[in-house]
Amino acid sequence: MTRPALPSAPRTLLVGTVALLATVTACSAPGESDTKAGSDSGPIKIAVVNARSGQLSSLGEWEYRGAKLAIDEWNKKGGIKGRKIQMKSFDDQGDPTTGTNLARKIAGEKYVAMIGTAESAVTIAMAPVLKQEEIPNITSGQADGLVAQKSPFLFLNGPTSTTYDSTLAKFLIQEKGLKKIAMISNNGSFGKGEHDAFAKAVKDLGVTPVTDQVVTTDQKDFSAALTKIRSAKPQVVFIGSEEVEAGLIVKQARDLGIDAPFAGAAPQGTPVFIDTAGKAAAEGTFVSSPYLSNEVSPAAQKFAGAYKAAYGVEAELHGAKAYDGTNILLTALKSSDGATGKKLADAIRATDYDGLLGHFRYGEEGVGITKTTIGVIRDGKLVEQK
Amino acid sequence: MQDTFQTLVSGLSLGAVYALVAMGFSLVYRTMGLVNFAHADIAMIGAYAASTFYLTSRLPFAVAMVVSIVITGAIGLVIERVLRPLENKDFDLMLIGTIGFGIVLQAVAILIWGTTGRAVPSPLRSAPLDILGIRVRTYDLLVMGVAALAVVALGFFLSRTKRGAAMQAVAMDHDAATAVGINVGRSNALAFAIGAGLAALAGGLVGPMLYVDASLGGALGIKGFAAAMLGGFGSINGAVVGGIAIGVLDSYAAGHFQGYSVLVTFLVFTATIMIRPTGIFGERTVSRA
Repeated sequence: MTRPALPSAPRTLLVGTVALLATVTACSAPGESDTKAGSDSGPIKIAVVNARSGQLSSLGEWEYRGAKLAIDEWNKKGGIKGRKIQMKSFDDQGDPTTGTNLARKIAGEKYVAMIGTAESAVTIAMAPVLKQEEIPNITSGQADGLVAQKSPFLFLNGPTSTTYDSTLAKFLIQEKGLKKIAMISNNGSFGKGEHDAFAKAVKDLGVTPVTDQVVTTDQKDFSAALTKIRSAKPQVVFIGSEEVEAGLIVKQARDLGIDAPFAGAAPQGTPVFIDTAGKAAAEGTFVSSPYLSNEVSPAAQKFAGAYKAAYGVEAELHGAKAYDGTNILLTALKSSDGATGKKLADAIRATDYDGLLGHFRYGEEGVGITKTTIGVIRDGKLVEQK
Repeated sequence: MQDTFQTLVSGLSLGAVYALVAMGFSLVYRTMGLVNFAHADIAMIGAYAASTFYLTSRLPFAVAMVVSIVITGAIGLVIERVLRPLENKDFDLMLIGTIGFGIVLQAVAILIWGTTGRAVPSPLRSAPLDILGIRVRTYDLLVMGVAALAVVALGFFLSRTKRGAAMQAVAMDHDAATAVGINVGRSNALAFAIGAGLAALAGGLVGPMLYVDASLGGALGIKGFAAAMLGGFGSINGAVVGGIAIGVLDSYAAGHFQGYSVLVTFLVFTATIMIRPTGIFGERTVSRA
């Protein structure tokens, strides 16, 4: 949407050099640390990789808090078989190239597993290295492209875009009986993924959208597309775009006299979306999300309480996802007696975990959860649709 | 038919904003022969300033706009003062200087307001008008009205006031103007300040229509620049016509070509410029390099 504001080249170069040096040192002294990643004693090293600077840093901050909360809780309970869990945060700046360098660094420094990233593109860039080095990775990305990696070391801590959108399509068509659906999505990677997943889902249910508008990621005025949507007289409008753009679309649609409710995935459940659209305009928006609010379950309430106590702010979806993912990893570490590599990946795959987002049970493709819940925005807040 | 008019209406309101941006570009160009590349980022600062005074300090929208215009006017004066030693000496360095100021302004905006932007609610609470099924936002009418006022005021200033006439004289012949006792530096400073004020007017007005963030300058600047080119760089009337033309063209392109709309808009723009390199109001303007 927006370009990175500050040049990142010197930093990338620095990180790259550090990573290179680390790799060189790791290679030049084979006798010194010939043991498999992680020995049987001492702390268990886990890397948390996310954007900690730049445009996506708020996403990285949420993820970091969720992961740290889980690790702190485990350490307080005595770690895993008496061994402390040592976590270190790495900054990928939301940049795939930086991510690839970090993947090598993590491998060189003998981290047993990685949590992150929130960016599918960065995770995909890192995947080949982590697969080769046999380091299990639990990501917060949701792109179907992650599954396409076919890496036995890559796991998702939430559902894929296909899950988000097929759940939404089923709800709109089968439960609500809405057959006249308009679509508006952007041509960026997230928007295109949402567009394709939703279009396929409604087609499978025998419904053809009344109109399918594509906008660009940096577009700010949607009058033309919305005018087309208005004349198609839809019962509901699907949005496939990030928070701010979705907010602008809804705001402008209401001004044009479109009264139909809107529907979408996780971005439409955020305060950023509601603020941009305006409370009145966002009212009644249907949202497909695995984590609707901090009040949905006792576990969520407990998590939200601990989160608030630790960081002084309200918990949200991304922190919850990272918390679930980290807990799954730690559970697998415990059940496998601190195994590494292939054994750890197998242990994660065998983990049956009841998390904040739902019941995780991993399949071959690395997806543990294939269900989202439908929420609706009422009085500027996302609540469960009943 | 209804859709055609609806598209026209939305194109006109954004076109009015592009016209304001283009006017700022043209004013500085006709006085100094310089393209102020920091112009779009001044508009972004203006949008941020207006939204801050409106939302955070809770000033009335009109007052917030005036304060923000004063602030950017001051920024314009600073830029002109820094560039003044280069005037008539190194034209390229002046151009590069304005680009540098643009980058500085973006960095400053991120320092002050952060990387995430803000949505500005419309200051007019009334519902959109419905004319034969065509919805017209009252705020859009306000924007068009204010833009029209700005055009008339600027035209009056340039043609009927002594200071305006002096600016015209400087634009036409720098040396002769100096000879008859016109303070060229002050004239240039005034052009920069008014240009920057126009930028803030455009930025402040566009805030409630779009979204205010550090990249707003990019969005406004490229369209505003294209508008100035299309109308004929340096011509105030041309800026108005060019702005509205780009706004409407953009609106129709978005309707017909969806994701490729930007490409189509600029293809049409390029073709027009190739046929008529000096723009619609193709007057040959100052070249003082």
